[in-house]
Amino acid sequence: MNLEELLPDYVAGELSDDERERVRAALQTSPQLWAELARYQQLFLLLAATSAQEVSAPGDLHARIARQVALRSFLNRAASLANELLGAYGRALVYYLGLR
Amino acid sequence: MVAQAQDGDRKAFSELVRRHQTAIYRVCFRILCDAEDAADATQEAFMRAYDKLSTFHNQSAFRTWMTRVAVNVSLNARSHQRDGVPLDDMLVAADPSVEDTVVRAEAVQQLHGALQGLPFNHRVAVILRDLEGLSYREVAQALGVPEGTAKGWAHRGRAQLKELLT
Repeated sequence: MNLEELLPDYVAGELSDDERERVRAALQTSPQLWAELARYQQLFLLLAATSAQEVSAPGDLHARIARQVALRSFLNRAASLANELLGAYGRALVYYLGLR
Repeated sequence: MVAQAQDGDRKAFSELVRRHQTAIYRVCFRILCDAEDAADATQEAFMRAYDKLSTFHNQSAFRTWMTRVAVNVSLNARSHQRDGVPLDDMLVAADPSVEDTVVRAEAVQQLHGALQGLPFNHRVAVILRDLEGLSYREVAQALGVPEGTAKGWAHRGRAQLKELLT
């Protein structure tokens, strides 16, 4: 990985000690690398601001999922019962009615 | 809790939904950039999880496994997505200062807009790593790819965002 590719991980604090030292040494002599570093720092500030923003799920989401799960569970049981009682005919009926 | 749900305990599954719905909704919302689509995708993801719960074997955390399901559902949802609700309507600022809120909301909106321009894999890798705070290992598990690939996607996504935003 070249030095410029290490910059985002340098900003994120994800480099090994050796890699961090390589980047620091290069920064001493490269204004271009400094400029790129500043851009990544700006990007990471934006990412941090976005990450901190609260995203609220709809209040009824849990209830919606619970209803779907209850329905699915009921249909599974009904299909299973039909299979037990009617065998192949039950399975055919279940598929015909679109329950599975 | 997961084991109980796998044994057919609906209350246990309901508790898993309660614990993870916000994180899963957030991932869907950040990928899809639309509140209604994200709610639909979250619901679909949990239903798929309910149907396939027996295939979860604790090789990753339940949240990571759920994230993978949600990413797959979101990928499908993107192909027939309606026009988005403005992000402002969905984002609730954590900071109570009005001025800060406006500035921050604009910046966040810019970033979300730029994210939408990235290839799907790069976008999701950045969302999971930099916005959701998952480790590269977890990102890799959620995307079903080797860790090096996940890292490469996140790097390329960041580099593209840097060009677009700074």
